[in-house]
Amino acid sequence: MSETPSDLPEAAQRRFAQGAFSSGLSVADFAACLEMGLEPVGLVQGFCAMQFGAFTMGGGIGRGMSPFGGSQGGYVQNYQCPHGMVSMEHRSWGQNYQQTWIEDSWREGFTSAYSRMIEEAQNVGAHGVVGVVDAENPLSDTGVTEFHLRGTAVKVLDTPTPTQAPWSTFLAGQRLAKIFEAGYAPVSIVVSVASMRVWSYCITEYLMDGTGGMWSNSPGTVEIDQIVSAQSKVRDLARSHARAQLHGDSLHGANLEVVTREFSKGDLEIQSRLSGNRVRRFKDFDPVDVPQPTVRLS
Amino acid sequence: MSDHNSASKFNMKDEVRRALGSLEKVVANSGSMTSDLSIDEELNLHSIGWEPVELVSGISLFSIPYGNWNWGQGEIEAASFAHAQAFHNAIARMHQEAARSGGHGVVGVHIERSIYSTHVEISLVGTAVRPVGASTIPVNGVFVSDLSARDFTMLMVAGWEPLGLATGASFVFAPRRTMGAVIQQQSQNVELANFTEAMYSAREAAMERMQQAALEMHGTGVVDVKVQEGPMHFASHAVGFVALGTVVRLAKPVHQMIHPVTVVSLNDRLIAFDVQSLS
Repeated sequence: MSETPSDLPEAAQRRFAQGAFSSGLSVADFAACLEMGLEPVGLVQGFCAMQFGAFTMGGGIGRGMSPFGGSQGGYVQNYQCPHGMVSMEHRSWGQNYQQTWIEDSWREGFTSAYSRMIEEAQNVGAHGVVGVVDAENPLSDTGVTEFHLRGTAVKVLDTPTPTQAPWSTFLAGQRLAKIFEAGYAPVSIVVSVASMRVWSYCITEYLMDGTGGMWSNSPGTVEIDQIVSAQSKVRDLARSHARAQLHGDSLHGANLEVVTREFSKGDLEIQSRLSGNRVRRFKDFDPVDVPQPTVRLS
Repeated sequence: MSDHNSASKFNMKDEVRRALGSLEKVVANSGSMTSDLSIDEELNLHSIGWEPVELVSGISLFSIPYGNWNWGQGEIEAASFAHAQAFHNAIARMHQEAARSGGHGVVGVHIERSIYSTHVEISLVGTAVRPVGASTIPVNGVFVSDLSARDFTMLMVAGWEPLGLATGASFVFAPRRTMGAVIQQQSQNVELANFTEAMYSAREAAMERMQQAALEMHGTGVVDVKVQEGPMHFASHAVGFVALGTVVRLAKPVHQMIHPVTVVSLNDRLIAFDVQSLS
């Protein structure tokens, strides 16, 4: 189908040309797709294995030495040791910094896998991809992550051959039907990641350990500002990365996940991942009656 | 939503073609929203004239000085205080984010709560909502609720309104028994009154704090209260009790009866699917 140079293996092209369709849809979702006039044409997939080289280098070298280290063009916030003593316990500086290179590598891996899936969909003449499932799996312990996206390519019955890239959505079946009825058209899946490194300074370490006392300048129970700031910012960044992909459309059914890992004492990485469906309003909401509560007798 | 009886008015296939046809047109930025609600929840909201606005969050970590959990009597005040303040600050941050985005409240708030021996961490994520097209309101007028959008809808239909999230927590020492008591009770089936009394003490303090928070919001009650109680995994002689729920108040002069309809499903237990029946 496609005349442009492609990543698609020759075997995949032969398989798509054979005619029989494959689908990742459940029977119920398959039935709902047919009801909507969407005809499944193939289970399409995209893979990409990315090595996060900079990730495995153990970036703790230089921790606390300078307020100018850390992020490359991203967010940085510095925390200066108030005690004026330079040692492993009293590093001069604590920092929260955005790991832009991790975000860039992640985006490259995800986008490559996504565009390969979309390319497969284009090769089977699909208008869209429904029921997308995305996974990220570590390959052995080598710092390599495999991105795997799959979904069911569909054609819209009684419409011309598509002239633009297929749309995509995590939804399928009745949930997708309700999206249409509610006045939204699916545009694409949206996934964003933000990565924040926290190099704690002495006050933060004291407060996290509960050993502050007079050294923390704030004995008793106090808010741990550096961690709160990092946790808040990493959520902000994930949302702003996702917003940058919306171009005026809306994000629906979002899921925000945050994972914190501790590499060594006071050296944390916080990753935030936001996924959802980019949708575009094509009509106003039809008036919906207030739902009638029911009690079911079984 | 459409059904087969109204098929003459609504054709699903035409609607899908119309929707997907709109993707080929360039549209002006009409003000986008972000939301973690499902489409069912969004339709529920819309049925009472509300809409999602923005995905918002709030977080706080509070320290607990070392050594508070092991020896002492009565309440572990540092832990109870840290828990209360962490919740207070996380909710305040969520208020600010919601107000900034034009929300009048936040529904479906997911609460992640972690208690460690040296700090408490509270994380909140939810969707800011407002009456369709409403203008912004001050921060102190915004409510935060862990009720789902469906429950929020039912609450509003019944004439009530949510006012905010009320929490109460208490962590209490279970006094160590004397050596004589330990030896005497070693081979007995006996209630450990120190733990029972500590749990009662924590329960009363936590429930009272939650109730006090509701009164401060001028609420008349707390719905969907969740409680979590039990020993602390990092301290052998401490117990904790946490209660939280949504404060509500009657917004209309009287409670509106919703009169649920009783239904009996005629479906067979065995679900069969016949592809030939599809149109």
